[in-house]
Amino acid sequence: MIDLLWDNLDYAASMVLFCIGLYAVITRNNLIKKFMGLNIMETAIFAFIVALGVVDGGNAPIMGEGAAKPFINPLPQALILTGIVVAVSTTALALSLVIRIWRQCGTIEADELREAE
Amino acid sequence: MTSWPPLLVLFVLTPLVGAVLTPAVSDASGRRSWEWALGTMLLTSAMAGALIMRVLDEGPFSYVVGGWVAPYGIELRFDEFSAFVAVVCLLGLLAVIFSRHYARDALAPGRIPYYYTLLLLNMTGMIGFIVTGDLFNLYVFMEILSLSAYALVAISGEKTAEMAAFKYLVMGAVSSLSILFGVGLLYALTGSLNMADVTGRLAGSAEAPLVLAFAALTLGFMVKSALFPLHIWLPDAHAIAPSPVSAVLSGLVVKVGILGMLRVYQIAYGSGAIDLSGLNLMLTWLGAISIVMGAFFAVFQDDIKMMLAYSTISNIGYIVMGLGLASPYSLIGASVHVFNHALIKATLFLGAGALIHQTGRRTLTGLAGVGRSMPLTTAAVSIGAISIVGIPPTAGFLCKWYIALGAMQAGEPLFAVALVFGALLIFVYYIRMVNAFYFRKPQEAGAPAVHEAPATMLVPVLILAALCLVMGVLGRLPLSFIEPAVTRLLAPLGGG
Repeated sequence: MIDLLWDNLDYAASMVLFCIGLYAVITRNNLIKKFMGLNIMETAIFAFIVALGVVDGGNAPIMGEGAAKPFINPLPQALILTGIVVAVSTTALALSLVIRIWRQCGTIEADELREAE
Repeated sequence: MTSWPPLLVLFVLTPLVGAVLTPAVSDASGRRSWEWALGTMLLTSAMAGALIMRVLDEGPFSYVVGGWVAPYGIELRFDEFSAFVAVVCLLGLLAVIFSRHYARDALAPGRIPYYYTLLLLNMTGMIGFIVTGDLFNLYVFMEILSLSAYALVAISGEKTAEMAAFKYLVMGAVSSLSILFGVGLLYALTGSLNMADVTGRLAGSAEAPLVLAFAALTLGFMVKSALFPLHIWLPDAHAIAPSPVSAVLSGLVVKVGILGMLRVYQIAYGSGAIDLSGLNLMLTWLGAISIVMGAFFAVFQDDIKMMLAYSTISNIGYIVMGLGLASPYSLIGASVHVFNHALIKATLFLGAGALIHQTGRRTLTGLAGVGRSMPLTTAAVSIGAISIVGIPPTAGFLCKWYIALGAMQAGEPLFAVALVFGALLIFVYYIRMVNAFYFRKPQEAGAPAVHEAPATMLVPVLILAALCLVMGVLGRLPLSFIEPAVTRLLAPLGGG
């Protein structure tokens, strides 16, 4: 069991990170902290997918002199670049929403907002 | 023309380019943006027509983007389930037409061009999601769709709009991550992202990660489609948004989860690598609970848009139950209800939008007696309400009938009872609505005289109401259209 965990430390770490993020999203009252939790979750998934492409002792898959097998898989990194763009736009939208909520209600604590409604 | 290959990729690009150019084309006060958005949607709809003609002729077809052959490149694929784009384009077009006067009154002038940009981006995401054959692309288009939807909810500027949008955003982002995780796991198992290729390679994979992948995908799509108990974001978001947006959100955006589930089923059944009967049982139960709970909450709402939002949850329940029962009849019923519910709910939301726009009131109490001053709109809303109950000869009847037949076919008559019970509850709120519109006196004697909405609002509502009736009478048409796709989907299960 421990060996299995040790061999797959990268996957285990991203799962732990994911749970930390989810915990923050569910329990935090402050909208910005909630969103930081979401960012942690995003990072966890991105790390997981990037880790999929790693090959032990692999080289960067760039043609030319000194290119030698084994190569690591570049596709997950390319995917996650797109994923990061999506995450940044989500963050921008969420923060602008938080600013507008603060201007309208004067607070960004979820429980106080519920009372205001 | 119909078999010209690049048409499929242009179909996705047209609304995207149109969306990005909208603020450039219009001036600061939002003039010309309506005309531009309308033109874009007309062009897109024409393409949708041509593509559906082609799928009728020759069955599913695909287009390889950039000359990279699948499974290495990105593939766009058009099959019978993709014919949902017909409803997407129709509703998009009607929502744009409806917005002409609505947006001018409901939004600040500076926001109007961006409103149309977001609406067109939403259409892009929807169309892309439906026609893509690539799992990661599915995620990207879903995010285009979701991000524009969050912003559209917030755009109305009402006091609670931002909070509703934020709630929607957090739930939506968590579900997107769950889907991305599922996609990542499928990639890890197969080394491929092309759906057809993944289906072929899944057989013989280890069971645990496979179960995890399908669980993550299902969870994500269930949040997207607001299945009970993951529905809590929906009522606020759909009730607060501007009415044309509510129509698009309720009619189309929640269907993303359903269409995503259909893709997941295509992979799972096609590969035969995993037994989904446990998942199906869960979906059937959650669907049944959704039907009853959604309808139950709807009965107690006084706000007409809130009521319609809860009825969406109930109808999603019907569709998910149909998927979960996994018998040929129930799947046909569910797939067609995806189309028909979009039409019905758009009728209701646009009609309610017209009522609210003209009277300035949004509660049933406030709208009492409105049937006298706005007969056409209330008639259209009533037709929509009959359809949603599922009384023949309207669009809602056939799908619910098929889902009930499917429950019998699957040997689960209990779920047919849940379906009828839900329909009865829905009937109660339909009666409440009609009672308020026609049989109660207007509340205030001195209320300003209201009259029918302008033509740009009235005509879309009437077209949709007419379609609700036409789809009921010509119900065979979509049923026989979707049948080959369902047969193909269930074929690996052994005849079905």
